[in-house]
Amino acid sequence: MTVLPLFTDQISEGYVILITGLLIVFSALVTLALFFNFGLPVLLYVYKIITKRKDKKISEIKVEADRDFTGEIAAAIGAAVHMYLDQQHDHESAILTIKQVKKPYSPWSSKIYGTQNRL
Amino acid sequence: MKKVILIFCVLSLLIFIRPALGLNTNSSSANSGTAVSTTQVDDSGDSVFEGAFKGIKTFYSYTGFANATSGNLIMIIIGIVFIYLGIKYDYEPLLLIPIGTGVILGNIPFVAGNQTGIYETGSVLNYLYFGVVKGIYPPLIFLGIGAMTDFSSLIANPKLMLLGAAAQIGVFATFLGALYLGFNLPEAGAIGIIGGADGPTAIFLSSKLANGVNILADGTVVKNLIGPIAIAAYSYMALVPVIQPPLMRLLISKEDRKIRMKPPRAVTQKEKMIFPVVALLLTTFISPSALPLLGMLFFGNLLKESGRTERLADTARTKLIDIVTILLGVTVGASTQADIFITKDSLLIFGLGAISFVIATCGGLLFAKFMNRFLKGDNKINPLIGAAGVSAVPDSARVVHHEGLKSDPSNYLLMHAMAPNVSGVIGSAIAAGIILSFLG
Repeated sequence: MTVLPLFTDQISEGYVILITGLLIVFSALVTLALFFNFGLPVLLYVYKIITKRKDKKISEIKVEADRDFTGEIAAAIGAAVHMYLDQQHDHESAILTIKQVKKPYSPWSSKIYGTQNRL
Repeated sequence: MKKVILIFCVLSLLIFIRPALGLNTNSSSANSGTAVSTTQVDDSGDSVFEGAFKGIKTFYSYTGFANATSGNLIMIIIGIVFIYLGIKYDYEPLLLIPIGTGVILGNIPFVAGNQTGIYETGSVLNYLYFGVVKGIYPPLIFLGIGAMTDFSSLIANPKLMLLGAAAQIGVFATFLGALYLGFNLPEAGAIGIIGGADGPTAIFLSSKLANGVNILADGTVVKNLIGPIAIAAYSYMALVPVIQPPLMRLLISKEDRKIRMKPPRAVTQKEKMIFPVVALLLTTFISPSALPLLGMLFFGNLLKESGRTERLADTARTKLIDIVTILLGVTVGASTQADIFITKDSLLIFGLGAISFVIATCGGLLFAKFMNRFLKGDNKINPLIGAAGVSAVPDSARVVHHEGLKSDPSNYLLMHAMAPNVSGVIGSAIAAGIILSFLG
């Protein structure tokens, strides 16, 4: 009989944890979601004001220095790079195909310690 | 064959020489000894053989053959099956092969007291297991995960974060189920986190709550459930492609499965940098107990996004996480020593784990349907991505993607599914923190 109240007590505490836990998980992720929905733009706007500089979009960045850089030049460079990469395999090192034969030294095959030439 | 015969001959020769040596020692002791020893000399030939036999017998008693129990053998077979599954079917081989090897290591039968087993203080495996028991490995893995994860899809569409929270219903439902099955509160909490579908989180929480060391209010010691919980969590994570698709087909109608979501907006680098800092502050202020996990997760992400610490991020997401995965896999596998692992509790945990995955998936799917009622036109979400709210990064997102492709071959959901997927990681870490703060 003493076990039963303990048992039900545990279950009720379990429900408390279930409800509060779910609430907290939801609230945590809701606050995160709210922040990134509404807070972040404000934050970024404030940052922009502080730095007093507009974030440049790609379309706004003007190309002044490269005015002479035409499509023809780009095509020429592209073609050159392409040709270079295409030909590269012609200059491969020929050594690749010939493997050096390894002859590990061993006194058994030594020419010094032979029967002919005693030390 | 020749070598075997040779070795056999040498061994038998040694055994035949031993009596000669043994005789000498015995007779010398007989010369200086008493009458008792002389009687020994009389049957010394026998006694030497007896001694040798006894030696072999004691040696045999130390071998695995003498100490093997059926439990050990079953677990070794399970370990071999894990390795086979990992190699043959490519089911999470990075996890299954270390765990499978660990299961074999942990179930080699041995005589207790020689500092061999993982549960004996002072053994090498015990020192490695320390990182599991004290919850050191999981935060390091989270560091690597943070350095791998791209949160941009989540930043672009913050409302998807709710799906990650909805799937945590699985955690708390399993917690209740475990309570009803008669587990203690801390044990039930540790079992519940299997529903978070996150291996490191599950190990972290079970090492804090069900580690076999803590003492409950009524004086009993909690059971050590780290092994079963970790194995259950990882094996169900590997089974996500089997568990989730039927539930998706059951709960989501064909039209809903075809919903196309608009592509996520481009996220600036500034937002990506702000995210880990702000998310770290918000989540850990709400649930400080999850600090080791969430702190490391967002720290790793900041290393990745800051653009200045590429070297550190690179180490965290490659070498560091690999090292920790090796140690974690082997020790978690080895912790399944048969006399501790093969119990009724483990079976119950496996059952509860399966149920928790089902509930978590359903929670995510149904909540996504529920959210769709409030969203209009372009903003509607494809309810399938709710299933990715159970963490299991990135498997569940991949499963969602494949299911989406089955109903509409040109509907690519992967990027959208990653958002609830990573928020599921955050959600389950928060849930772990809450359970820990209630029961720790």
